[in-house]
Amino acid sequence: MSFIEVKEVSKTFKVNKRSAGIPGMIANMFVPKFENKKAVDGISFDIESGEMVGFIGPNGAGKSTTIKMLSGILCPDSGSISVNSYVPYRQRKEYVAGIGVVFGQKSQLQWDLPVIDSFELLKAIYRIPEEMYKKNLKRYTDMLDMGGFINQPVRQLSLGQRMRSDIVASLLHSPKIVFFDEPTIGVDVIGKETIRSFIRELNEKDKITMIFTTHDMQDIEQTCKRILIIDKGSLLYDGSLQEIRNKYGTTRQLIAEFNEDTEVTPIENVMIGDPKDRKRSFTFDNSVVDVNALMHEILGKYSIRDITVTEPEIETIIRKIYNKEVFA
Amino acid sequence: MKMKAYMAFAKKSFLQKSAYRMEHWMGILNTLIRLVIYVEIYRALYGAREAVDGITMSMVTTNFILSLGMESFFVVDDFYLSYRIGNGSIASEMLLPVSFHGRMLADNLGTAAFKLIFHFIPAMLVAVLFIGISAPAGAASMGLFVLSVLFGYGVLWSISFMFQMFSFWLINVWAIMTIKNVFINVLSGAMIPLWFMPESMKNVIKFTPFESIYFTPVQIYLGKITGAEIAGGFIKQIIWIVCLLGIGMILWHKGQKKLVVQGG
Ligand SMILES: Nc1ncnc2c1ncn2[C@@H]1O[C@H](COP(=O)(O)OP(=O)(O)OP(=O)(O)O)[C@@H](O)[C@H]1O
Ligand SMILES: [Mg+2]
Repeated sequence: MSFIEVKEVSKTFKVNKRSAGIPGMIANMFVPKFENKKAVDGISFDIESGEMVGFIGPNGAGKSTTIKMLSGILCPDSGSISVNSYVPYRQRKEYVAGIGVVFGQKSQLQWDLPVIDSFELLKAIYRIPEEMYKKNLKRYTDMLDMGGFINQPVRQLSLGQRMRSDIVASLLHSPKIVFFDEPTIGVDVIGKETIRSFIRELNEKDKITMIFTTHDMQDIEQTCKRILIIDKGSLLYDGSLQEIRNKYGTTRQLIAEFNEDTEVTPIENVMIGDPKDRKRSFTFDNSVVDVNALMHEILGKYSIRDITVTEPEIETIIRKIYNKEVFA
Repeated sequence: MKMKAYMAFAKKSFLQKSAYRMEHWMGILNTLIRLVIYVEIYRALYGAREAVDGITMSMVTTNFILSLGMESFFVVDDFYLSYRIGNGSIASEMLLPVSFHGRMLADNLGTAAFKLIFHFIPAMLVAVLFIGISAPAGAASMGLFVLSVLFGYGVLWSISFMFQMFSFWLINVWAIMTIKNVFINVLSGAMIPLWFMPESMKNVIKFTPFESIYFTPVQIYLGKITGAEIAGGFIKQIIWIVCLLGIGMILWHKGQKKLVVQGG
């Protein structure tokens, strides 16, 4: 049995549909119309202990809903979830004592208390032993550089400071599993870098199992080996990031800058762009066309000033998957 | 010890309460003003009479002082759950390894402890000094009174607990809470001493949990009920607490499956 097992899980929300304006409002008072919205539609996956999995998908795909079901907040309508042999929703109290969850969009800290007081409260709630608490607090606050604002009330913190506080709060009780739902939302470039390396270290050193949702592909590239892609409640892809690259990232673009205006003869399997400032693009699939041979051919035939080869960014590939231009 | 977690919640709400100084003084004033109004109404009705149906004016006064005194620290928060469902913070609550009800009770008790010390005691001192209260019927009555006060709070809390569970199905529970509180105000004896209710009403009230909140403790304090009747009073209080909490728990389990968290 896998550490985390999700089988055919679905969750539907009932949404009140009413037409606009006052007539719509009145009609709705007497005959409310409901529409069922399938937020998660029969997804299945397994995650092993110590894995770090990126969970991505466009807005409204069902990521947060899945995380909420995994963390025992929401009850699935059908299907089964087992994490570390607990059924999250049914054994909520015992289960949540061993997990950590961060919802980037919503702080779980006490709004009006200094950060450190929130931490002390968590220490009592989770009954964290003094020594472990001290050790974790020191280690995490140092790593995330929180010394400057730990005594400030949460309501006075900047978004990035609050996020770091929330991350530490979720880890004080040394959970073996952590769910991060957009922990880098609204964080600046340096802050993101700090959070990423922090997350990486937790996974590598402490062997914490993690699921990590984000809209920033850099986050995923730098932390996760495996990704799950979800859209409209269904799983589109489950595999390694490298595999996606190998499969869909084979497009290459060679840009050649000519010394003078030159006519180019067609090359098999290569799409040649229109000239622009004496530059032309050669687009091809590197599983079909050999880059070396192509370069040789071009350099041999024409007088070339400069030549570059680019590979597509992971964002481009993911965008294509979201747009159904390629099927994962 | 598991208690420590709940103690932490209670302590937090105790400390939080102390931040609202103005609200606090207004609360004491509110209790005293209501007390004076109720007592003066009855004093006017009594006129020169010594007793009405065997109830003396000093018993009426004592009823009001005790009921309003209890009310001043019987803390329930009717909107505890609906507020958290409404703004989505229920999600964070569910992530804590404690029972939601235990946590709600701990929060309420923390506030209640604050109110007991800083609202009940000063208000009582003023009331006893300036209005006067009958002495308890005896030392035993006093002890049993304190015990039945605890159960009285239990009944009040359980009623709120059960009604709060409708928050899972209703976006706004304000209306049902208002109706519930009207019933409590009128039928618990805090506004109209239940001695003066017509016989037919008394027979109805007997079958409701409302008299168990304030009236049963008052009756014990004054020695109006004795022996088997006191035992009956306690049994009633306990039965109501068990029933209301039981129904509340069933609704809680049903509601939890339906729970929808607002916001991303
Ligand atoms: N409380 C709710 N009531 C009704 N519908 C909801 C509710 N919560 C979520 N939904 C719907 O469920 C779907 C999935 O939402 P979810 O929050 O899981 O998306 P997500 O993948 O986390 O998106 P994002 O990237 O924008 O955070 C959406 O279509 C959303 O409208
Ligand atoms: Mg989300």
